[in-house]
Amino acid sequence: MSLLEAKNIKKIYKTRFGGASVEALKNVSFTVEKGEYVAIMGESGSGKTTLLNILAALDKPTEGTVILEDKELTKVKEKDVAMFRRDNLGFVFQDFNLLDTFSLEDNIYLPLVLAGKKHAEMKQRLDSLAPALGIGEIIKKYPYEVSGGQKQRAAVARALITNPKIILADEPTGALDSKSSDELLALFKKVNQMGQTILMVTHSTKAASNASRVLFIKDGVIFHQIYKGEATDRQMYQKISDTLTLLAQGGDN
Amino acid sequence: MKAGFYPKMAVSGMRKNGRLYVPYIATCILMVSVFYIMHLLGFSNILEGFAGAGTARDMLRLGTVVMAVFGTIFLFYTQSTLIKGRLKEFGLYSVLGMNRRNLGKIIFFETLITWFTAVTGGIAIGIGLSKLAELGFRKMIGIGSSYKFIISWQSILTTVIVYSFIFFLIFLNAARKVRFSRAINLIHSDKTGEKPPKANWFIGITGLLIMLSGYVIALKIEQPLSALIWFFVAVILIIIGTYITLIAGSVLLCRILQKNKKYYYKTNHFVSVSSMAYRMKRNGAGLASICILLTMVLVIMSSTSSLYLNREEVLHNHYPRQINCSANNYGFSEDYEKTASKLEDEIIKKTNEFGTEAKDIISISYCDISGYFENGKLNVDINPLEMTTTIDYDKVAVAYFISLEDYNGLTGKEEVLSNGEVLVAVNGNLPFEDSISIGSETFKVAKKISSNEDNLKNIGMNGLVSSLIIVTDDFNGVASRFKDISDYRGEPMLVWEWKFAFDTGLDESQEQEFNNRLRSYIMDELYTGDFYLVRSECRSEQREDFVTTFGGLFFLGILLSVIFLVSCVLIIYYKQISEGFEDQSRFGIMQKVGMTKEDIRNSINSQMLTVFIIPIILACIHLATVLPIVHKLLMLFGHNNVPLLLISAGICVLVCGVFYAAIYKVTSNAYYKIVA
Repeated sequence: MSLLEAKNIKKIYKTRFGGASVEALKNVSFTVEKGEYVAIMGESGSGKTTLLNILAALDKPTEGTVILEDKELTKVKEKDVAMFRRDNLGFVFQDFNLLDTFSLEDNIYLPLVLAGKKHAEMKQRLDSLAPALGIGEIIKKYPYEVSGGQKQRAAVARALITNPKIILADEPTGALDSKSSDELLALFKKVNQMGQTILMVTHSTKAASNASRVLFIKDGVIFHQIYKGEATDRQMYQKISDTLTLLAQGGDN
Repeated sequence: MKAGFYPKMAVSGMRKNGRLYVPYIATCILMVSVFYIMHLLGFSNILEGFAGAGTARDMLRLGTVVMAVFGTIFLFYTQSTLIKGRLKEFGLYSVLGMNRRNLGKIIFFETLITWFTAVTGGIAIGIGLSKLAELGFRKMIGIGSSYKFIISWQSILTTVIVYSFIFFLIFLNAARKVRFSRAINLIHSDKTGEKPPKANWFIGITGLLIMLSGYVIALKIEQPLSALIWFFVAVILIIIGTYITLIAGSVLLCRILQKNKKYYYKTNHFVSVSSMAYRMKRNGAGLASICILLTMVLVIMSSTSSLYLNREEVLHNHYPRQINCSANNYGFSEDYEKTASKLEDEIIKKTNEFGTEAKDIISISYCDISGYFENGKLNVDINPLEMTTTIDYDKVAVAYFISLEDYNGLTGKEEVLSNGEVLVAVNGNLPFEDSISIGSETFKVAKKISSNEDNLKNIGMNGLVSSLIIVTDDFNGVASRFKDISDYRGEPMLVWEWKFAFDTGLDESQEQEFNNRLRSYIMDELYTGDFYLVRSECRSEQREDFVTTFGGLFFLGILLSVIFLVSCVLIIYYKQISEGFEDQSRFGIMQKVGMTKEDIRNSINSQMLTVFIIPIILACIHLATVLPIVHKLLMLFGHNNVPLLLISAGICVLVCGVFYAAIYKVTSNAYYKIVA
């Protein structure tokens, strides 16, 4: 039984006046097992962000279903969707999406406060999480006072604090310098090793080479996938690069 | 570059920002038209040919000045909000190769267009509405309508000049704003990371203290004269206090709430408290302006309307009977009494000759002496020019001496006095024990009596200053003891007054005719030159003058209130729009993190409601604390009807509240449209 299962997902965008329609996703099916670290790669416009939005229940597919642990996402009622997201999913975004009106601490608490948890419990969870993420020192600061890497670590803490079934990350290294990127990827790896399932959308080969499996998406379909197996990051990097080159040349596999 | 390029840029820029510019220009038009109407009524000869026309015109002239000053401040404020919202656009132009001169040209044409629309539109509407305003005014003061329609070139010219000047200042300010910012800053002007507001205990508490000290002054003042002096101090303190409190104090409050973990980490408090802290820092000034404008409207409307509604009562207080004769003189002599009774006899005879009789006669004579009350003593030998300490106007008091016989006659009581004891009625805060000293004389007080007896109100100045009414059974003896005291100019301080008022049962025109005859008879034949002043006034003749004053104030109050309210609406509208843009992205993030749409709506709703309710609640508190001092000021006009003032205030609050709620509803829609 997979943790997450996407079946025959199709997404068609209509332009505003109902004229031309764009098929962002044609027919996408895949599964994610518990404890897996999956990266989805593709160029801009390949449909990967659309896919992530559908997985996150931020958007509805035109056809197809998404199942998270027996629960069919597409059938969750509109008014329960936010609650479902809060309880089951954790998000990490490219541009952090931290609220500038909150300190980092309060940003991390946000989902728990929304779930109506007690302050003592929130604090306990954060205290056990903060050292691992290396944000113990800066927790009282405001987003504008800290670096991009620190912001992203706070965002990861916010995603983790609800003990989500799966973390969905959208280009998490996109706005970071290379050192911060490395740190974040190391963090993801560590989190994954503790048993956390991660699904990451990226077009950074380096980021993808950390994952245990990489899916390639092109023109709205899953084009190819590779498993890391026992390979090192470096070997994985090479494999991904080769696949990307192949993709770019338009070859069939 | 092609001619007409800059005007085109200006037009398209304004069109694209129509959501901001349309209400702005509409407000400008309204301001110009009200200015024109006030100027027309105040400076042309439309209002002529009735008693009090001069007073009415003076008031409207004052209104014209207020309009010009307020217009300048307000349009300045609005314009800078507008420009702030467009700095990004100007930044883009600047990146595309426009220099500051070019940007200045665009701003120039924009201001030119606004100026032209506002002035032509405002004057056109002003001309259209001027007749309506004039008729409304005439109706209000109850004089016949005229059929002339006047367009005054002088008023048009003044309006054009004044508003051209205002718009010129506005242009300079906008050009300065754009000139002193860099292209890159212009582009990022809305994204500069804002520091989280720090709670500043010192400033927050100072603001509160300033506001409270204003309150204390407003509540503590007892007498109208001191009210006149302290009113503006109180107003200024309250205004400054409101601004500081709303800007710094509210942030402080939010921070205190955040410290309380149990309160803060609740779903409905968490988001609203933290974003309120931000919002207050940015919008505290706006909220304070809204609050002050609302307070001004409430105070102006409740005072002028209750003055206007109470005009008959005030008239009756000033002129208790149809015919009111009076005389006064310095010093005291028993001859005065004799002259007075001779005057009374002659007047009654004259009344009978006219074919009617004097009814409900009020006849009083009394002496008064003024001084400064301290420690149970009224000091009468103080030279105000040499006083070292500041004068507490609540302690300036007048002592009125009246004979026991007159007192019993006026009140219908049968008091008896002996051994030189006196009865004393006090008006004001003048504490004394069982004896009271006036100058060097000390009187044993037999009893304190009420100063609220109807007929006692005819004594003195209707409670403008603190007063003591001293009833004695030896009037002549007591008065003689004070007659030689003189002030620093050498004039006797004791003043003797005589009042003689009666009804005739005549209708208004006959009443006036009779009064005219009586007046000339008194002046030409009775008046012997012994008296400082003798006069006879009839109530109906004075009515027009009274009504014009009160009606004029009420009319002015309405016009100014309309302008203040419209300004208020505009500030609120801009606030909602700018907050809408701010909250747009926040709205998105919260949704992604798992806040339901309903949660968000609720949180935003409660937040907006709080932010919205603060100004009107505070305005009501301001009104409540200022009302006592306003009441004292109204007493200067002879208005002493507290229930009516309270009712007017209540109605004003109600009307304002409903109007405010309507604005809230409409502008919050504008907000949701942006956010959703």
